[in-house]
Amino acid sequence: MGHAAAEQRSPPSERLYNIASRPRAGEEMEESDSGVKYLIGRSAGKSAVIAAFVATHVATMAGLWFGGVRLPQFNFNMLNGWLVLGLTADPVQTFVIGGILHYTSGIIWGVVFALIVHPALGRFIKPLAALTPTNNYIKGVLWGLVLWVISSAFWMPLLIDPLFGGGVVGPFLTKFGLNGVQALFANLLWHSIYGVNLGLLFSPTPAATRGSWRAASGVGVR
Amino acid sequence: MASRTLLVYAGLFLLGLVLLAVGALTQPYRVGATPGSEVGESLVAIGLTFVILGIGYFLAWANPTQ
Repeated sequence: MGHAAAEQRSPPSERLYNIASRPRAGEEMEESDSGVKYLIGRSAGKSAVIAAFVATHVATMAGLWFGGVRLPQFNFNMLNGWLVLGLTADPVQTFVIGGILHYTSGIIWGVVFALIVHPALGRFIKPLAALTPTNNYIKGVLWGLVLWVISSAFWMPLLIDPLFGGGVVGPFLTKFGLNGVQALFANLLWHSIYGVNLGLLFSPTPAATRGSWRAASGVGVR
Repeated sequence: MASRTLLVYAGLFLLGLVLLAVGALTQPYRVGATPGSEVGESLVAIGLTFVILGIGYFLAWANPTQ
């Protein structure tokens, strides 16, 4: 009764925030069991999907803008579209279908990171064991580096090169069409952007941490 | 300790800026789709990577949930 009365006294915007952020059935148990809170959502899976989607989108848009900073453009939507539809399909169709594939891949890599790699890194690298935003960030950056190696060593030379008849993509992306080794480092930049965003957004921290995001950012605090 | 950590992040960021400037100012750049200098464009890419890593470290350090 006292709690309800206190809620009634708070301003409407705060009451709305409290209602929207209240755990639904089953979610409260999940949080209290794991003892971990997330920057987005209340479960590792939901947080991973949203963080990976944002990370993929930011990196994809950055890749399309690479030409503006004197770098080879990285259009992963078209590259994925060419893989399934071939080089002669309608460009808009190729971009859209390739985009769906590319975003799906980005989200799946993010979920693999969040549910498997993130906890494993904490287990195997002791300094990264604590769930702090900085450690979470470093893990995201490391995952970006791993994906850069996979993309440069396998995906580009083994899947993209044959599409163009061979000889277009060099080993470990040391050649990419007219571009030389700058393609390898532009790919590093692309995957670093992905890893940075993933590591910053997928950030599990102990639920008992003093000073929540709401308190520190002033939301709901007067 | 915190100030030393911040200095490391700032160092990463500044290193990126230096590499970016060296790559952008001293090497020939691309005109249209034709690539410019491999070294210059590689330096720009590595420089931007360091800049982004430095900014990311700072943002993680400044995260209010920490």
